[in-house]
Amino acid sequence: MGHHPIEIQGLVKDYGSFRALHGVDLQVARGEAFGFIGPNGAGKSTTIRCLLDLLRPTAGVATVLGARDLANNPAIRARIGYLPGELVMTGRRTAREHLTYLATLRGGAGRERIEPLAERFGLALDRPVNGLSKGNKQKVGVIGAFMHAPELLILDEPTSGLDPLLQREFLALVRETAEAGATLFMSSHILSEVEAVAGRVAIIRAGRIVDVEDVRALRERAGQHVRLTFDAPLPAEAARAFAAIPELSALTIDGARLTALLRGSPDRLLKEAARHQVTRWSAEDRNLEELFMDHYRQTSADAGGEAC
Amino acid sequence: MAAPPVLVQVLRERRRSLAGWAVAFAAICGMYTSIYPYMAEMNLQAMLEALPREMIEALGYDDMSSAAGYVGSATYGLVAFALLMVFAIGNGAALLAGDEESGALELELTSPLPRAAIYVQRLGALWAQITALVAVVFAVTLTLDLAQGLGIPTLDLAAATLQLWLLIGLFGSLAFAAGAATGRRGIGLGVAATLAVVSWMLNAIGPTIGLEWMSSISPVGWYMDSNPITRGFHPVDALLLALAAALVIAAGLRRFVRRDLMT
Repeated sequence: MGHHPIEIQGLVKDYGSFRALHGVDLQVARGEAFGFIGPNGAGKSTTIRCLLDLLRPTAGVATVLGARDLANNPAIRARIGYLPGELVMTGRRTAREHLTYLATLRGGAGRERIEPLAERFGLALDRPVNGLSKGNKQKVGVIGAFMHAPELLILDEPTSGLDPLLQREFLALVRETAEAGATLFMSSHILSEVEAVAGRVAIIRAGRIVDVEDVRALRERAGQHVRLTFDAPLPAEAARAFAAIPELSALTIDGARLTALLRGSPDRLLKEAARHQVTRWSAEDRNLEELFMDHYRQTSADAGGEAC
Repeated sequence: MAAPPVLVQVLRERRRSLAGWAVAFAAICGMYTSIYPYMAEMNLQAMLEALPREMIEALGYDDMSSAAGYVGSATYGLVAFALLMVFAIGNGAALLAGDEESGALELELTSPLPRAAIYVQRLGALWAQITALVAVVFAVTLTLDLAQGLGIPTLDLAAATLQLWLLIGLFGSLAFAAGAATGRRGIGLGVAATLAVVSWMLNAIGPTIGLEWMSSISPVGWYMDSNPITRGFHPVDALLLALAAALVIAAGLRRFVRRDLMT
């Protein structure tokens, strides 16, 4: 049918007198890979917990896979794969027992994929889960979320704890799942974590969605910190030439050292720099907090300096 | 029809611990019951008469002249009763609220099962364990009674067992429900343990100070009054225990399906 897998309207959640979500609106289309980023404590997990009906919204509606009334539609979760931010596994259960139990709770769905997925991620199924390393626990969580080929995947900080090799395997699994038509909703406090797979991202901050946009546009707008060191102090006309490059802002030239914020193509900067002798260079993606600062300045400027 | 998955899983994971408890109950009940013939020879009744009457009544040791009176006081009235309370309240609080606090419950809560099913199946696992331990107490006592020819009326013993089962189920359910309603294991433990102690004291102290009504409002009084075995079957008291358990279970469920979980 025509509904979106995730449709959130005016979601408000209070914990006592603390308002964790201030009217969140989000729409995730079928087959989309959607990133949900924000600093810790911004409301990512609260939003996800509302989608899973662990929390009941104070106001607003979260519709998941067409179900508006999540409290009376627990069976909808059979079509969701959920990877918790921190997987708790207690007792002497082995990984196999844990995953088999999860399959049983889902009416047996995905039981036959436990073995092949464990092999793919190199997980020893017969070890007790409570003694597993964080990375191995995360593998158990990933297999649990993907094994029943769900229509919608809700992944809370999915790659935390996975080593780079496993991150690659995980991203490959995510891409395969996306190609098979599943919808992905993944949260993170690091933009680069969702960048590799997400098409669009929403940025949440202090319980409000401050931006929803294409991940590439966001990255471009975010820019990079560029540092160049030359073998000799730059002459004044060179400084003027750098200052004329439209992709650069916050340019400072201190003798032989240049720092600037680069947004967009590095082409003009590189060509200009190549006229001189470059001894060191670095380009670093700006982190999320800096992006928030941009948003913050922008919104305060728009609102005439009104506080957030 | 498929087996209830949560009930099966909980019992499977608790089977070792439950087996340990069962062995302990069998040993303790066995020991208490098998020493009765020696105590009868020592003329225990005479020894007890040397103690203040109020103290004897409060402990329920007022009828040592028969095996039924002794087993009713010592096993059903004290040791098995207290240990079963500890087991039921501890497990009741841990089974839902404890697992919610540790985060282990998340797996089930994010599965397609309705919250009510999780509540009912975990409560079922609690009652199944209580049933198993109460059955051990009954089986060991009955076996030793028959083997030693103690002459405890079997129907009275069965009635006491049924009423014990209901009482322990009530307090286990109270710990479970209070924990489920709040998501805090400590609240489940605290509420149930406090009410168990108050209830025991009302029944133990009320009659010694001439306030019989204290026993009649106490669930422990509905179970044992002055002696759980010699008093025989009391359908009204059994019904009160069952109704109280049903009420507590319903109230816990009502809150559990409505509140925020894993906060």
